[in-house]
Amino acid sequence: MHLFRFATSIYGDSDVVIGASWDLLPWFVGAGAALILAHAVLKAVARGRLRQAAEIDQ
Amino acid sequence: MSASEALASTSLARADRVKRHAPVDRIYHWLTAASVLVLMGTAFLPIIGWKFEWLTLHWTTGIVLTLLVLFHIVRALIWQDWRAMVVDMADIRNGWRALAHAVRRGGAAPDKPGKYKLLQKLYHLAIAILVLSVVVSGLLMLLKIDTPLWRRNPYWFAADTWGAIYSIHGFAAMAMITFVMIHIYFALRPEEWWLTRSMLRGWISRAEYLNHCDSKRWVVSDRG
Repeated sequence: MHLFRFATSIYGDSDVVIGASWDLLPWFVGAGAALILAHAVLKAVARGRLRQAAEIDQ
Repeated sequence: MSASEALASTSLARADRVKRHAPVDRIYHWLTAASVLVLMGTAFLPIIGWKFEWLTLHWTTGIVLTLLVLFHIVRALIWQDWRAMVVDMADIRNGWRALAHAVRRGGAAPDKPGKYKLLQKLYHLAIAILVLSVVVSGLLMLLKIDTPLWRRNPYWFAADTWGAIYSIHGFAAMAMITFVMIHIYFALRPEEWWLTRSMLRGWISRAEYLNHCDSKRWVVSDRG
């Protein structure tokens, strides 16, 4: 997997960067999904603990 | 109910409201949201295989986003309280206290935020950097295409400089996918509905204001 897209220079002797690699697209989507999932799980666990604490108080 | 009673009831309901977003700011928000979604669709759908004539819609929507961003900067600096969106020492202290509570280290509970929470301010800072990056790099990339308004001039920059400009545009655009996903997720979470509703209706109830915000840090007049 590359970070950048490359093309051959007009002189044909080297590669030049022409932009970000689109191979990274799933990683950015995955990062968003992972953050959302982690937050949702943490919130659910915290809510469960609060409910447990409330039941113990009663 | 008589007409005067109905009027009194409506006035009472209005008095219970705290204005959070002016109509012009809500229109700005939703126009920006629509243009960002169109830009993301026209940028990434062709990459994942949906072939269509995307370029004209992409650059014209990019111009719309540029004008919206300029409008927002001017409005924020002149007519809005831009300091409400700046991270201050109270935010850092509250962030630290919230973190300590989350990892069960105890200590003082965090105070209520002002109009915006620390994470909202950090999100705004990050998305501002990303949007400014795509807008500036996108405007430079317009030099590479013919439009009814100008002729292309690809010799404006050297090849490696064009590579850097295209890379900034691509990385910032891909990072925006992550940030848009997070934004939509939080807007849909039940405990944040009061904020999402305020971006639709413009106001929050006085109970929501007192429950969620520090009235010393976000001072509102009695008239809302």
